Amino acid sequence: MSAPLTTDRAATAPVDADRPPTPGSPASGSGDRDLTNTVAGITERKMPRWWLPALLLSASVAGIGFLAIGYLAITGVGVWGLNQPVGWAWDITNFVFWIGIGHAGTLISAILFLFRQRWRTPINRAAEAMTLFAVTCAGLFPLIHVGRMWRIYFVAPVPNHLAVWPNFKSPLLWDVFAVTTYAIVSILFFYVGLLPDFATLRDRAKTRIRGWIYGVLALGWRGGQRQWRHYEMAYLLLAGLATPLVLSVHSIVSFDFAVSQIPGWHTTIFPPYFVAGAVLGGFAMVLIMLLPVRKAFRLEQIITPRVLDNMCKIILATGSIVGFAYAIELFMAWYSGNPFEAFTFFNVRVTGPFAGAFALMVVCNVVAPQLFWFKRFRRSTKGMLLVAVLVTIGMWFERFVIIVSSLARDALPSSWGDFAPTWVEVLTFAGTFGLFLTLYLLFMRFLPMIAMSEVKGARAQDRHDAEHASGHAHATAPAPEIVPEPALAAPTDGATPWGVIARYDDGDALKRAAATLRDAGYDKYDAHSPYPVHGMRRAMGQGRSPLGWWTLGGAAFGALAGFLIQWYPSVVEYPLIVGGKAYDSWPAFVPIVFELSILFGAFATIFGLFKLSRQPQLYHPTHGHDPFRRVTDDGFFLVVETEDARFDAERTPRLLARSGGRDVAWVEV
Amino acid sequence: MTRLFSRRADHRFKAVGITLAVVGLFVVTGVTYYATPAYTRVGYEPTQPIAFSHKLHAGDLAISCTHCHTNVESSPHANVPDTQTCLSCHGASWGNIKSAAASLEPLREAERTGKPLDWVRVHKVPDYAYFNHAVHVARGVSCVECHGPVNEMEIVRHEEPLSMAWCLDCHREPWEKLRPADKVFDLDWSPESDPHFDAKAQAELRRFLKEDVGIKPPQDCSACHR
Repeated sequence: MSAPLTTDRAATAPVDADRPPTPGSPASGSGDRDLTNTVAGITERKMPRWWLPALLLSASVAGIGFLAIGYLAITGVGVWGLNQPVGWAWDITNFVFWIGIGHAGTLISAILFLFRQRWRTPINRAAEAMTLFAVTCAGLFPLIHVGRMWRIYFVAPVPNHLAVWPNFKSPLLWDVFAVTTYAIVSILFFYVGLLPDFATLRDRAKTRIRGWIYGVLALGWRGGQRQWRHYEMAYLLLAGLATPLVLSVHSIVSFDFAVSQIPGWHTTIFPPYFVAGAVLGGFAMVLIMLLPVRKAFRLEQIITPRVLDNMCKIILATGSIVGFAYAIELFMAWYSGNPFEAFTFFNVRVTGPFAGAFALMVVCNVVAPQLFWFKRFRRSTKGMLLVAVLVTIGMWFERFVIIVSSLARDALPSSWGDFAPTWVEVLTFAGTFGLFLTLYLLFMRFLPMIAMSEVKGARAQDRHDAEHASGHAHATAPAPEIVPEPALAAPTDGATPWGVIARYDDGDALKRAAATLRDAGYDKYDAHSPYPVHGMRRAMGQGRSPLGWWTLGGAAFGALAGFLIQWYPSVVEYPLIVGGKAYDSWPAFVPIVFELSILFGAFATIFGLFKLSRQPQLYHPTHGHDPFRRVTDDGFFLVVETEDARFDAERTPRLLARSGGRDVAWVEV
Repeated sequence: MTRLFSRRADHRFKAVGITLAVVGLFVVTGVTYYATPAYTRVGYEPTQPIAFSHKLHAGDLAISCTHCHTNVESSPHANVPDTQTCLSCHGASWGNIKSAAASLEPLREAERTGKPLDWVRVHKVPDYAYFNHAVHVARGVSCVECHGPVNEMEIVRHEEPLSMAWCLDCHREPWEKLRPADKVFDLDWSPESDPHFDAKAQAELRRFLKEDVGIKPPQDCSACHR
């Protein structure tokens, strides 16, 4: 516990989550406390009445799906409708469908981050969660599709009693690496984003068990600049890793088709076309999931119409790209003069047995998004839902048309066939929707749906920009009113305290105070804030975080390991001629080398982050100082350790008070 | 509100982490070691309906393998002898060797009822792996390479893992294992035991088989997984 404090009201008041913001306090003006109460409150209060029935329903549907999978495993693959020549059908369609949906989350969290699109912050958490759940659903299908699913470890390149190694020249194996890497990196990215918010939930926890759970998950996050500095770098690096990764995932998924020689699959346009389609389908799903949640939890102030408007525009843009790709495919089918290609497109898809599905996909994916040219549709919940649902249906049919039509009408007419799903396949697909919804409902219940810390940081940036725009630069801002503090009584019990702490009104005040300490020659101090304060690194005289070297080292290791793990089996241990290529034909190794450099780069980034920011550190003296719990909400604190060479029991607290610090207090060990 | 985590929390956290890592390592090591045929199959030594001793028959009495396993040279399947084969020596009206022994009661029972003896199968490749005894025997792969020194076993024991990697070991370097066709059923034979053994000639023979003849047992998937 902290030492006896000055008589300030705010410091001695109990930290109560439901307490209204202090009127007139600058911190309340930012709305940070409201935001915390709204978002964190969802996980703390009772869920709305519809939540439990919705969870039970979706969990039951998921359960039925798993029963269908169990029935398949027990009975055999004959209970599915696929057979020669349509050996890939419902399962792979669903795999591509789900994995595509995941792409929106990474696009929002990584690519828009790199482009400094601040409007992404209210939706990135939910979209990232959706990525994880969609990848989970997607991953189920290849797992089932391989047949003996308990033997799936065969695809892992590890020495085994079969002396069998996977075929490294197959896009299907690249796909295994791509999707696994994608799932792992998405989880890491998601978790790193959650760290400050876990700390918020920990600091608001009313019960000990809740505090423990979120406290362990937060790994002792305190929001100190010495943590933020590395954290921001880690986030940037992970975004940098995830961006090429997400583009690679659907590119490699498209290789599953494009590398083959089937008419309608063997197309170089596939990678960009698939990525655009994935983003389109993903954003549609994000809209479908977010719009009801936004209404149910009254998040209109956070997920603003502008955010939705931007999402609609992305749907419009990617829908048009997909339309362009459809047109190019048809054009190339005609222009190439390849009769098989032309037959597949004009006699099987545009007209012929798949004409209905083809028309549906064009209308849903290309025509429907064009409605978003009109503001009316971008602003109306019903309009957005309509388009989003249509796009989701359309994207499923796109994959179905591509996969099934090409196999059903291959180049050899005597081998034509058809496909109709069986009830087992339909239930399995329905089950993945149940699983997706179940996971999403649990996510709503237990995790903060909105990245609180990021939204706060983005809002601070917005305010900062607005000040600049209105001509009020920092220098001309009115000097903050500094309330003279009574002197801090020396620690009474004789023990040396760990340090001294002071609260500041906002990020700017904290930054100025940190600069004061830096100028005074202090060394062992830290500035704590709910979000990384822009410019704080310079104010504390810190250099750039060296985390990038960790990432580089990890990526280099991953690249080398990725090459060796392919080269050794392919050339030495299990030489296998594939496609008439040399054993050591290195271009085939590129995708897995790439995926593993991303994977190990991400691992190294996380390890480096924990190492540099000294996490996990569950115990820290500052946690014993009750008012400090506001640091993960709307509080700004400066802490100076008594270990500091410059520390003085008289002068240091006075320096803090004079630089605008309030509630100066001792922090006990 | 007091602290959530005491000073010891970090130590506990670390301890849990290390414990999990160690347990994980044990699991991986355990699965790698125990969940392979080298562990699960080798050493299988079931009790048979009759305590038939290969040591006595194939070893001491030097009866050829083909005397009982009659089809091994002509069929994919190396048959287990039928009741009549046993009776040709042990039957009261045939060879009459120890035909009244108590241990042979199941044989007499089989003779009476016409129901074959229920031998317990020791060696089995999975249904999805095709294996042809005749081909291997004809090419000079001795019984001992896969079944071990059966002529020394009182009870037949599973000696080799019969895993796929084990099959491939030989398919990749067959010159290490092949022997003259007339020595296939001579389980005690080794190049060194041959009166005409000459290390140099032996090495030259291996080189000849490997490089000049280029013997190449199939290694493609469909060789066994048809």
